[in-house]
Amino acid sequence: MNRSLIILLGALALGAAIFTGSYFAAQRATVMCCAKPADDLSWLQEEFHLGEAEMAHIRELHAGYLPQCAELCARIAAKKSELESALGNRTNVTAEAQLKLNEIAALRTQCQSNMLQHFFTVSQAMPPEQGRRYLAEMKQLTLGDHEQMESSMSGATSHEHHH
Amino acid sequence: MKENQMPPDDPPLSELLRQSRVSPALPPRFQENVWRRLEAAEAPARRASWLESLAALILRPRFAAAGVAALLLTGVLAGTMEGQKTVRHEAQMNYLAAVAPHSAR
Repeated sequence: MNRSLIILLGALALGAAIFTGSYFAAQRATVMCCAKPADDLSWLQEEFHLGEAEMAHIRELHAGYLPQCAELCARIAAKKSELESALGNRTNVTAEAQLKLNEIAALRTQCQSNMLQHFFTVSQAMPPEQGRRYLAEMKQLTLGDHEQMESSMSGATSHEHHH
Repeated sequence: MKENQMPPDDPPLSELLRQSRVSPALPPRFQENVWRRLEAAEAPARRASWLESLAALILRPRFAAAGVAALLLTGVLAGTMEGQKTVRHEAQMNYLAAVAPHSAR
């Protein structure tokens, strides 16, 4: 093989190894040094540049919201197990199963409503611009999944209708 | 006139000096080698291909050191940025898991 080609290929391999090695080493070091898994609210403070007073208020709101959220989650889990029992080995949706589904949907709606209200309250505890950004991001993260799924489903349906 | 300075023209001495000078034996095929070198020097130089030029450039210590430094720096910068993105995403997911359980999303 041509000597120059061997030199070039060797240099390319060495360059790729140097880049990849330094990339992964730096990434790992950054993740290890900067991760703060202990505090759920650390992200809020850093991302939205909040001061200690604002954080203290948000911590209070957070502490007040969590028990409501946990209670609703527990109720949803209980209703889901009731639904499982109602369905049993049946091959169609019974009136009882339908009732349980409705109850679960109502609880989920309440849970979502509480969550959105919490986002509004937290956003109001932030400086206006940061509050708007927080709200937009939270809506995107929590409701965006549904929108994406629904739009893809409606797209698929209309696609079928065209045929 | 200084004492140890040679007279400007002393034929017998010059002759004696010429005879005493030992001329070394030429290596074998000396003349042929000289002609070959002359021909090679006069022939138009072959142009190096781009591959050869690039390989020669890479082998220069300065270029090699600069390349290694640039790759290291780029790798560290890109890795740090990606690491920060990962940390931010993980922190965001921690917050989201606390305030928005899957049943509410």
